[in-house]
Amino acid sequence: MIEVLKPGLETSIQDYPGRYGYLNQGFPASGPMDSWSFRMANLLVGNPSGAAALECQFLGPTLRFLHDTIIAVTGADMRPTLDGRRIALWTSTLVQEGQELALGAAVLGARSYIGVAGAFNNEPRLGSRATFHQAGVGGFEGHAIKRGQILPTGTGSGIPGLTIAEEKRPKLSTDGSWDIEVCRGPNDDWIDDAGHERFLTTAWRLSGKSSRTGFRLEGPEWTFTDKAYNKPEEHGSLPSNIIDHGYPLGAINLAGQTPIILVNDGPTMGGFINPYTVPTAAFWKLGQAKPGETLRFKLVSIEEAQDSAAQMTALCGPGSLVGI
Amino acid sequence: MIYEQPKFCPAGDRHLLIEFGNEMNLDLNFMAQGLASLVAQAGIKGFIETAPCFASLLVHYDPEAIAYGDAVRELTKLTSSLGSPDDIELESRLFYLPAMYLDPWTKACIDDYCVNISKKVYDPELLVQENGLDDVQHFVRLHSSSEYWVVALGFWPGLPFLMALDPRAKLHAPKYNPPRTTTPQGALGIGGAANSIYPVATPGGYQIYGRTPVPIWDPTGKKAAFEGAMCLFRPADRVKYVPVTKEEYEAIDAQVREDRYEVTIIEYQKFSVKNYKASVTKLGSRSVARQRA
Repeated sequence: MIEVLKPGLETSIQDYPGRYGYLNQGFPASGPMDSWSFRMANLLVGNPSGAAALECQFLGPTLRFLHDTIIAVTGADMRPTLDGRRIALWTSTLVQEGQELALGAAVLGARSYIGVAGAFNNEPRLGSRATFHQAGVGGFEGHAIKRGQILPTGTGSGIPGLTIAEEKRPKLSTDGSWDIEVCRGPNDDWIDDAGHERFLTTAWRLSGKSSRTGFRLEGPEWTFTDKAYNKPEEHGSLPSNIIDHGYPLGAINLAGQTPIILVNDGPTMGGFINPYTVPTAAFWKLGQAKPGETLRFKLVSIEEAQDSAAQMTALCGPGSLVGI
Repeated sequence: MIYEQPKFCPAGDRHLLIEFGNEMNLDLNFMAQGLASLVAQAGIKGFIETAPCFASLLVHYDPEAIAYGDAVRELTKLTSSLGSPDDIELESRLFYLPAMYLDPWTKACIDDYCVNISKKVYDPELLVQENGLDDVQHFVRLHSSSEYWVVALGFWPGLPFLMALDPRAKLHAPKYNPPRTTTPQGALGIGGAANSIYPVATPGGYQIYGRTPVPIWDPTGKKAAFEGAMCLFRPADRVKYVPVTKEEYEAIDAQVREDRYEVTIIEYQKFSVKNYKASVTKLGSRSVARQRA
């Protein structure tokens, strides 16, 4: 069990891939935004790669361990300390009863993951332990963790002193710019050639009005094909308006003239077009990008995106572990 | 129109969208819901979940278990086995929902949007203009005259997408540009020709014009009307709004808070697509009829 001394900024229990099977009732998958770092945190502590672990955003928590266990911190660098002494990222570490793990503000990247041997064993809701904070579903008591809570954990059999080979970790951007893969569709035929060209050549600024529900992008206006103008009135009269339809996770949703990337806790359906979709293997970059940084989009095919996701899954396996 | 062949749109590495047509009607909704049921029954390896809506079905698949091309082939096969919606007769619950039209809370939300985000026409006024109505009272009479069909749930847990069953009450409006960052819980909205109710305070893009005090989402799943679910509605339910005054709204709101409000649900009716279509034909009407009300 782990006591929350300071909660950090909306730190939440997540599991991977999250809450599948309830899309037709409006539930998003939730789960970790950077599933690469997340899965490696679990790998390091001997858990199944999708087991429940903590996602920390921008400012990490301070936790007191009420039992001896093995932990690992991956993803963004929040300068983690154990009883005030720095511990290494991407490394499994022994924690003794009463010790305090403190994460600060992210100095590189945006989201850190804390894996604990045995994982969190909060009650699953609708088949998942993942927190959908804004709807009060899953996680511990439905929301991000709070000061004073005692988070339940299972018992595991991790080994201290394991690490992830350097070349197998995600390479976080150090200059504030990110190249993000995108696939065309589902509604790419609503955007004209100039609009596509503009989208793929612009350095989009990630807006401060971004969260786990959506990443707003700031950049030039969009232009459209005839399809966006000559349509039945049921769609709504503005060019980005379409008859409400399901939104894929990662959709670049054109709400009026504002593109919003629909991320893990995002809306699952609605009445705006989605000209592009960010595929699974690029999501870790969204999870590590900070407001004010720039995103450039790079077109990939569906097959390339699927191959990348499979490669990432293979990378999140025991072959990436090394002893110190 | 209903497309002769459904259109398959790839949507990233794990999803695809099937469009059956380009408008809102019951036939298209039955195709989307029908295919969703067939996918669930078929148990084909690699299909994880689906999300039907007005005229389309989003399919979430596992690319490590089924390739995109194979998914399209399987879904095409299932689509061709869909029966005619005309033979459908199904249980359809009817919910009477108290609603305060032109309420102060959605008005405050719109005012706030005008000050902080972008100036716009007051939403009920915009609905009047877009649909050639006389005034906001005309809008209220027309809007509250129809039953609304629960097409699907989505956007947010428990949020119903609704379609006016009476073609004379089929109103339309553009969606917000940019969307609101918040909407009052229980707000009623219209975007395109879709209607909805916001289950909790969320961002939103529909024009808002009223509010219901009745909760339609309960994460505890313990409220009686929810029958153990977190979402009040299911597809193929119907909703009829009962206009109430501010005093009535507040009285109901108090009952809800004290957990003694009973939702009015009519459960003895069957919905016959054949009868519905016959009645619409008899009306012989087009989308909006100004002569009404």
